[in-house]
Amino acid sequence: MAPRQYGGEPFPTPNLREGVDELRRRLGQARQWLRGPRGVLVLGGLLLLWIASGLYIVGPGERGVVLLFGKLWSQTQPGLRYRLPWPIQARQVVDTARVRRAEIGFRTSEGRSMPVPEESLMLTGDENIVDVQLFVQYLVQDPVKFLFRARDPETVLRASAEVALRGVVGQNTVDYTMTEGRVEVQERVKTYLQGLLDAYETGLLVTEARLLVVDPPRDVREAFHDVVRAWEDRERLIKEAEGYAEDVVPKARGEAAQMLQQAEAYRAQRVIRAQGDAARFLKVLGEYDKAKTVTRERLYLESAERILPKTQKFVLQGDGSRDVVPFLPLKDLVPAPPAERSKPPAPPGPGR
Amino acid sequence: MARIVIGFALVAFVLVSQSVFIVGEWQQGLITQLGMPVRIIREPGLDVKLPLLQTLTRFDKRILITDAQAAEYLTLDKKRLAVDHVSRWRIRDPLEFYRTVRDERGAMARLDDIIFARLRQEIAKHNFADFIREKREGIMQAVTAGTREMAVPFGIEVVDVRIKRADLPSEVQASVYARMRAERDRIAKRYRAEGEERARHIRASADKDREIIVAKAYEESQRLIGEGDAEAVAIYAQAFGRDPEFYGFLRRLESYEKIFAEGATVILPADSDLLRYLQGPRAQ
Repeated sequence: MAPRQYGGEPFPTPNLREGVDELRRRLGQARQWLRGPRGVLVLGGLLLLWIASGLYIVGPGERGVVLLFGKLWSQTQPGLRYRLPWPIQARQVVDTARVRRAEIGFRTSEGRSMPVPEESLMLTGDENIVDVQLFVQYLVQDPVKFLFRARDPETVLRASAEVALRGVVGQNTVDYTMTEGRVEVQERVKTYLQGLLDAYETGLLVTEARLLVVDPPRDVREAFHDVVRAWEDRERLIKEAEGYAEDVVPKARGEAAQMLQQAEAYRAQRVIRAQGDAARFLKVLGEYDKAKTVTRERLYLESAERILPKTQKFVLQGDGSRDVVPFLPLKDLVPAPPAERSKPPAPPGPGR
Repeated sequence: MARIVIGFALVAFVLVSQSVFIVGEWQQGLITQLGMPVRIIREPGLDVKLPLLQTLTRFDKRILITDAQAAEYLTLDKKRLAVDHVSRWRIRDPLEFYRTVRDERGAMARLDDIIFARLRQEIAKHNFADFIREKREGIMQAVTAGTREMAVPFGIEVVDVRIKRADLPSEVQASVYARMRAERDRIAKRYRAEGEERARHIRASADKDREIIVAKAYEESQRLIGEGDAEAVAIYAQAFGRDPEFYGFLRRLESYEKIFAEGATVILPADSDLLRYLQGPRAQ
């Protein structure tokens, strides 16, 4: 090669020439070495290696997809498989058994759950805002669709899950979503999401969509808690009143029974006593009829004997009122203790 | 000689690598000859083109996703709403696509413009409450239909447009929270008042039951007492009626004993029946 000039700069001729000579020498040596059976062996080895590069393993729960010149050729089951080597065939292996998970409204990192408010806060149908966290489990159902029909199916799933969740929550009231409608919302999100995934040909199957948290936003949580407390208060008030009723009514029944029993007792004893009194009187009357005058006198005097010894007595001659100044010392008339009366007990008074 | 062989091999390699190509399962291609479109390749597999003269541009055949930035819209009742949409589309006609928007980036920008306009138009037709509730699906379908039609000239097939987030602007949120609090307060008050109402009712009803039970018992007991009294009266009347005078006598004597307690002062006229013999032994 003749030395040439580039832009006036001298070409570093001696070094280049040396290098080229060196390369030639090496190539010559290699050709020398490869000549004959040795060369065949090396070429055959390389060929074998190339052919063997088509071996691949489809693990349990995986599915292999083989492409012939980029076009879908076949699907393969788990095991040791062979395809023609590059560039004729190519393969991709998809795990179809692994359950994958997506988190909407929160992220779990190192076992701790962090809320993501911009995802989790959403409007409900009655223009309230609710904090919802959704957990989706899914797996690859159709590896061909998964690989070739939609770009980045797992991102599609995340976005679709948000669409579905917000769509369903937006159709219901905040109370319904938070309480009795929770399971139904969950089911509808799942159906909605699966519908979207099918429409986008992601090849994904949602196995579970679960609402982890359905809460009022932090700012109004206290007010919601107060409603719960109010409900508890309501129940407590009712229970207390019921307790009062449980206490009062039986007591009243007891009181009534007592009253009746007392009245019965009164009636019975009243009759019995009257009968006794009558019997006594009739006995005395029987004897009295036999000797009226004597008995009268005797009874009278016996009474006088029993009464008078205990009293202070003044005996006044004639008509006492004429000789004695009537004087009534009111001050001294302290109420004397009422004499014990051996009458039957007084009937129970009216009232309770 | 060897040099010629190597030279030929090199040229052949370059020619083959420039003319034979693979279009993947998820791809489609457009072949242009000096800038002029020649043909569209839709089927995956091995294919050939003229080397050097023709160039291949590959496009994705899969469904693509565009996640747009949230934008603010005005509803019919003049409420502002922050809406964040997702659109899904695929390249239907690589030639038109290449000619009009060139690549995905250009397509996304164009699509977003169309969708923003459609959304603005559709959202402005509806009230806020309707939009959040039942009209959402309808609006999405209307936007999808409109966008689909307008995207055809770009060689784009729009699969759908979905509203992902539809939120109130953050400065409106505070007033929503205030309203929510007021509503909760109302419910809480109602619960407490209802509790009070029921409790009072139950208590009053219990009190009423008690009064009735006791009154009935009183009625019955008074009747029983009356019966007893009446029966006693009858018995007494029957017995004492045999000799009313003697009964009066006996009963008075009994009464005296009870009336004159210990220490009572009794003034006895000297001419009383009891003391008549104090004056003299003669019978008076």
